[in-house]
Amino acid sequence: MTTELFFVQLINGVQYGLLLFLIASGLTLVFGVMGILNLAHGSMYMVGAYLVWYFATVTGSFTVSAVLSAIIALSLGILIERVLIQRLYNRNHLDQVLLTIGMIFVFNSLQSILFGNDPYGVAVPGALDGGIPFTDNSSYPIYRIFAALVCVAIAGVLYYVVSRTRLGMLIRAGESNREMVEALGVNIKSLYTVVFAIGVMLAAVSGIIAAPMRSIVPGMGESVLITCFVVVVIGGMGSIKGAFVGALLVGLISTFSSVLMPSMSNMIIYIFMILVLLVKPQGLFAK
Amino acid sequence: MIFEKRTERILVPMFFMVALFVPLFLESNSFFVGKVTTIIILSIFVMSLDFLVGRVGLITLGHALFYGLGGYLFVILSPEYEAVNFWVYTFYICGIAALIALVTGAVVLRTTGIYFIMITLAISQMMFYYFFDSLEFGGDDGVFIFMKPETSIFGLSFLNLDDPQHFYYLALFSLFNTLVFFKVVLRSRFGRIVEATKQNPDRTEALGYNIFAFRLTCYVIGSTLGAYAGFLFALQYGFVNPSFLAWEMSGTALVMSILGGLGTIYGAILGTFTYEGLQYFFEHLTEDWLLFMGSAIILMVIVLRKGIAGYLEKLLEK
Repeated sequence: MTTELFFVQLINGVQYGLLLFLIASGLTLVFGVMGILNLAHGSMYMVGAYLVWYFATVTGSFTVSAVLSAIIALSLGILIERVLIQRLYNRNHLDQVLLTIGMIFVFNSLQSILFGNDPYGVAVPGALDGGIPFTDNSSYPIYRIFAALVCVAIAGVLYYVVSRTRLGMLIRAGESNREMVEALGVNIKSLYTVVFAIGVMLAAVSGIIAAPMRSIVPGMGESVLITCFVVVVIGGMGSIKGAFVGALLVGLISTFSSVLMPSMSNMIIYIFMILVLLVKPQGLFAK
Repeated sequence: MIFEKRTERILVPMFFMVALFVPLFLESNSFFVGKVTTIIILSIFVMSLDFLVGRVGLITLGHALFYGLGGYLFVILSPEYEAVNFWVYTFYICGIAALIALVTGAVVLRTTGIYFIMITLAISQMMFYYFFDSLEFGGDDGVFIFMKPETSIFGLSFLNLDDPQHFYYLALFSLFNTLVFFKVVLRSRFGRIVEATKQNPDRTEALGYNIFAFRLTCYVIGSTLGAYAGFLFALQYGFVNPSFLAWEMSGTALVMSILGGLGTIYGAILGTFTYEGLQYFFEHLTEDWLLFMGSAIILMVIVLRKGIAGYLEKLLEK
């Protein structure tokens, strides 16, 4: 491997890892705070990508579409939590798995009814089109750098909100002792609604950011969901720091393995996950 | 009597009586005989999952791994253009599947709860991609099985697997044996201890039982029967492809076992037939059947908490 190829893959890996983190952060946040395993999380990523594609073809502006899609996703999150997820708080993991599998079916079906089954692509917004040259004959797409920076920024905001604000304090308190938070006069129900909606929005925003880089196809939610599982299990379920480390590891490993050993590349992150669980059955940053 | 509940004493004989005569009524319609055969085979798979999830308490999202292995192991072991003996190969396939279950079980059973769900999913995904990316097994197209096995025992052959009706009775016979087997196992001393490990692991351990060994044994039993079902399914359609071990397969089987009534064993038959029946109905009603299936599953989780068996038991038991 040449130095040049190595650096390109390194940037690719980090960039993919950051995107994975953004998706996985919502999954792990919802699990950590509410104890809900949301298998339909990948569907929210799909929703984000399809919405931004739809609005981009209607309005022609990526920024407007992105904002509109994010707002719709947030409302969708509130709606789903109020109508469905709220019924699951006292149920076991099995019921959660089932209900969210049902949701995957519904979302996949709605996607095919509303948008059809053709693959779509979203154009890279004009200002971010083009590449940064780094040798004489190769360059790196600006949009990918931008996407990575947006992911870092959102990660920063997430960190700030969870560790420094009143909402973050409540989230952390809700994680460690639900009853006590309730007894102190906090409305845990609306806190849960907020957390779930944030989780949904994080997945949808990832879909929005990924849309110009990846093709928008049916089933995109499931493949990303399973990869996110690997990320949060490696990092430790419920730990945002773990999701960050796990996402970067998975991003780098799968990028490099697809160059170094293409025939194994799909398998390798699962092998890695099994190895991690053998050493630390609760993941790297388990609570 | 191995059937403890009144509901199963009524339903199980009724089901098998009706099932025995299905091919006679549908003689002219081999499509339906084939369809019902598939559902019966699927019921075996769902039953083995129901045993693991509902009775042992191991919520696995990777059971399809063994369903797929049942098919792929046959392709790997048997010569391509020569009919092999069905019974001998059933023994080989189940033996190797059991061995694989023993090894993977020893790994996955180190974890519990949500991590168990995830790691079973990861292992099955890993094998999914192994077959998906493999050249010698046809990648995502899978492989054809050209020669169906012959079924002679000591030179006597009374089953022809190329005949849909014969295959139907083989599947039905297998389902009956699986049901009786699980009922006997669960009634035994072993089954009682397994029940105890599910209800209160700490106390069971304090009584001197090795929980890990009991869980592992159950995992091997359930997985082996899952592989047997996959083997039958691959033989019925004459091919195997990676979708056999996709996570959707595990998820759907889980839905079926819950729909039927988790942990009831006979509920697996109810759940599988209801699910497949609903899917058949919606598929013919509309192209967007998945929307109705999804909504039905969501409703089921919210309303029908103990499954169909639970509902029937409420009506029939006192």
